[in-house]
Amino acid sequence: MIRVEGLTKVFPTPEGVEKTAVRDLSFAVEPGEIYGLLGPNGAGKTTSLRMISGLLRPTAGRVYIGGVDVTDDPERVKRSIGYLTANTGLYERLSPLEFLRYFATLYSMQRDEAEAKIAGLIEWLGMESFAAMRCGALSTGQKQRTNIARALLADPPVLIMDEPTLGLDVLSNRLILELIRTQARAGKAILLSTHALDEIETMCQRIGLIHDGTLIAEGSLDALRTETGKQRLSEIFLQLTNAHDPVLAD
Amino acid sequence: MRMTRFSRINTIWKKELIDTLRDRRTVVAMVLVPMVLYPAMMLGSIGAFELQVSYLVTEEYTVAVPDPDTRQWLRHVIDSDPARRIDDNGTAEEIVERAATQPAEGTESSEQPEPERDGASVAKRGVRERPPPYRIVVVGEHVVEAVTGGAANVGLVLRGPPPRVGSENSSQIGVAFDESDIRSEIAASGLEGVLARYAERILLQRLAEREIDPSFVAPLQIESRNVASAERMTGSVLGRIVPLILIVMTITGAIYPAIDLTAGERERGTLETLMVAPVATSELVFGKFIVITLIGLLSALLNLVSIGGTIWLGGVGSMLAQGQQMVFPLGALPWVFLLLVPLAVLFSAVLLAVCSFARSFKEAQNYIAPVMMAALIPGVVGILPGTQLKGPILIMPVANIVVLTRELFLGKFDFGAIAIVAMSTSLYAGAAIAIATKLFGQEAVLFADSGSIRTLFQRKFFKPRPAPSCAVALLVLALVYTLNFYVQNSLGSAGIVPGVGYLGAIALTLAILMGLGPYLTTLYLRASPLETFRLRAPTWAGWAAAVCFGLSTWVLIRAWFTYQETWLPFDPRIKAQLEAQLGWISSLHPATLVFFLALVPAFCEELFFRGFVLSGVRTALNRTWSVIIVALAFGLSHYMIQRLPATALLGAIMALLVVQYRSIYPAILAHFLHNALTTLSTHPEGLLPVLRGIGFDAAAEGYPPTGWLIAAAALSLVGLSLCLLAPKAADRGSDSRQAGAEGSDDLVPVQ
Repeated sequence: MIRVEGLTKVFPTPEGVEKTAVRDLSFAVEPGEIYGLLGPNGAGKTTSLRMISGLLRPTAGRVYIGGVDVTDDPERVKRSIGYLTANTGLYERLSPLEFLRYFATLYSMQRDEAEAKIAGLIEWLGMESFAAMRCGALSTGQKQRTNIARALLADPPVLIMDEPTLGLDVLSNRLILELIRTQARAGKAILLSTHALDEIETMCQRIGLIHDGTLIAEGSLDALRTETGKQRLSEIFLQLTNAHDPVLAD
Repeated sequence: MRMTRFSRINTIWKKELIDTLRDRRTVVAMVLVPMVLYPAMMLGSIGAFELQVSYLVTEEYTVAVPDPDTRQWLRHVIDSDPARRIDDNGTAEEIVERAATQPAEGTESSEQPEPERDGASVAKRGVRERPPPYRIVVVGEHVVEAVTGGAANVGLVLRGPPPRVGSENSSQIGVAFDESDIRSEIAASGLEGVLARYAERILLQRLAEREIDPSFVAPLQIESRNVASAERMTGSVLGRIVPLILIVMTITGAIYPAIDLTAGERERGTLETLMVAPVATSELVFGKFIVITLIGLLSALLNLVSIGGTIWLGGVGSMLAQGQQMVFPLGALPWVFLLLVPLAVLFSAVLLAVCSFARSFKEAQNYIAPVMMAALIPGVVGILPGTQLKGPILIMPVANIVVLTRELFLGKFDFGAIAIVAMSTSLYAGAAIAIATKLFGQEAVLFADSGSIRTLFQRKFFKPRPAPSCAVALLVLALVYTLNFYVQNSLGSAGIVPGVGYLGAIALTLAILMGLGPYLTTLYLRASPLETFRLRAPTWAGWAAAVCFGLSTWVLIRAWFTYQETWLPFDPRIKAQLEAQLGWISSLHPATLVFFLALVPAFCEELFFRGFVLSGVRTALNRTWSVIIVALAFGLSHYMIQRLPATALLGAIMALLVVQYRSIYPAILAHFLHNALTTLSTHPEGLLPVLRGIGFDAAAEGYPPTGWLIAAAALSLVGLSLCLLAPKAADRGSDSRQAGAEGSDDLVPVQ
């Protein structure tokens, strides 16, 4: 469903030096699979997810979503993607209901279909109590539920989530993780980037470890255990990243 | 069913409008401030003004005199003053009313005086007519010191004996006052009025004693009469105020939504949400642009209504119109509102472009101040007395609308000028929108962690591309359009006399602006000159189509101008200028004319319009729209509404040749032949004798012979057929739109 081939992103700097944020990244995520992208801060995870979602143009490499090249037809690809980050904003002067209706129109959904879908999502995500309130008055958890509803609105086959549980309370956290599992069981391909190692450990079928813009390890948790000889993901993470960090390796 | 581009834009602007109108800050800035604050401020100012004046005209002033005799004499003069005796003390309201509605002394001419709006001026005029109470103090020789020291408001010194009826002497009276002190000025003004009336009384008595008619000393009675209608006078007053209000209020209204919908959205993180939806950046920008324009328009209208109402109901109108009846020029209103649209479009586009560049609300606010200044400076130029809607002002952004608004209020309707102003403003706005679209979607602007904004302009980070983007093409078009107009207008004032030197200067201008400039821009952007300027050989059919058009269009255009003269005639002054131009041009050698008027324009204009601009526009628009845009731009660049239809049609033909044959050369050939034949056909040493020999007097006015017309139409049809039948498959291969599709941002860093 998601196929990433040799993805590279180079940013120019005012000093005239080029900074490579992502280097030759390749992996694939199949339908029904949750793929965890793991890495320290500044490793290039967010840049990678933005390129995969069509928000950034790759310097080199290709991304295929359902066989369609993101660079060639970004609009079509965006219809197939539900994108969610921790700091995705909402229109504070609109209500979640209006917000969802607006996006339903942008996704070319028919009015009846959209209303039915929105009503279903509001019920499923427990948004009835705040669906008519202004988004500016919502709590962080309520805002994130609204954003999840927006991401799932067009029933996309691919979900890309960048730190979706960051800053949430335990209940909201659990709700979102359960939702991700449900979506995976429904056959969606899910690309999940998070710092919460326990989430990756319990949810992802495969894990990609990215460090300094490069994918340094990939595989199931068992395969990574075998490769490193460590049991816990945090130990695996530290071993692999330290081995690739010249300062820490010494 | 997928949405069309227009329905997506429709969805976006409606949502943005709701979002914006729900913001209290916008509502306060747009509605509350104009509807409540401005009337309150204006009425408050009027109250303060009236209070100040009424106090100044009724206050008792002190006159310092050197001796008791002078005091006695002055007391007599003041007490016997008829103006004082008529209403004794006089009420402040009466004095103010009369002073505010009567023209100042010495200004009763056909030229309308500037209204005096400050309290001091009105008070000075008032006390001159009705003097205030004076207290006279004797200070000996220290009259001047008494005034400068503040002991007296004004000083009076009588040099020689006081004037009497019986004598024939002329007495000298010195009045000392302190111009830095408004009370001293007013006291002096009142005293001068008293003395002038006293002198007039003595004169009349002297004349009566000698039985001389007063007309003896006034051989000329001048009666000036203002023949302007009340409507025109009102228009004159409004023309001084309304244009600036329009500018300031349109910008003020548009500023907040422009920031909020661009930098504000970016800062709040909603832009990323929006960008992951299946919507093109241009659609987002256009939706936002519509809302900003609407808010700007609405804000300006509300302000106008508010200020208009205050002027009417608050009594400011009669003061501004100097007591004359105010009749609103209603006929001008629709046109003024119509002009408001391109103005709002221009401001919104510029604000959108500027704010699109900002990553945060605060950053955007910093960029706004220079925009305000840039808008106000030409606006002030426009309201300067004597500024006319001609020459450079005609296409100077903002200034042209200010002057045109003023002229509309005065009842002057020049449709050619209205069209040029509206179209040139639209051109600038189009360039600004294109730039806003380009900046809005830039990665470095969109995500703070995705590179620096500074790198957007560094050439080393540009990636090679076939042609410049639409935004750059429109920006360069707007610059060339403006510069070309200014340079060509300044040639006459630079002392370049008509002749080869003049033609050479125009040719040099064309070569620099339309040749060298776009070429260097192409190199800077790392675009391909070969692709941008379509420097490739055409097929034989391309050459043939060019020859067909080149040999025939000059006859058809001539016929068109003859027909157009019946419904859109040239202004007689412009016609006289063109005929004078034709006179000196005919005195030059045909070969010289062919070089300057055919060869140089054919190369420069084609390389620019059908090369640089067309290639750029093609990166964003389809073939038909690209041809239309370039044709209109070409027509507009001849700066005359009467020439627009014909030149736009020629532009469309040349653009069609280029897009069909992917080569600039057929367009250059057709352009060259058209210009050369147009020039030589009326030249006595060119083709004129030959044409006359075969029954076509090209120097005479009127339609070409029917046979010529039929032949030219047939030849053009052949050219058109060849164009339309050109193999399209060959065109698609290296069409710049196709080639640019993989990397359409010329501000995108090298990858």
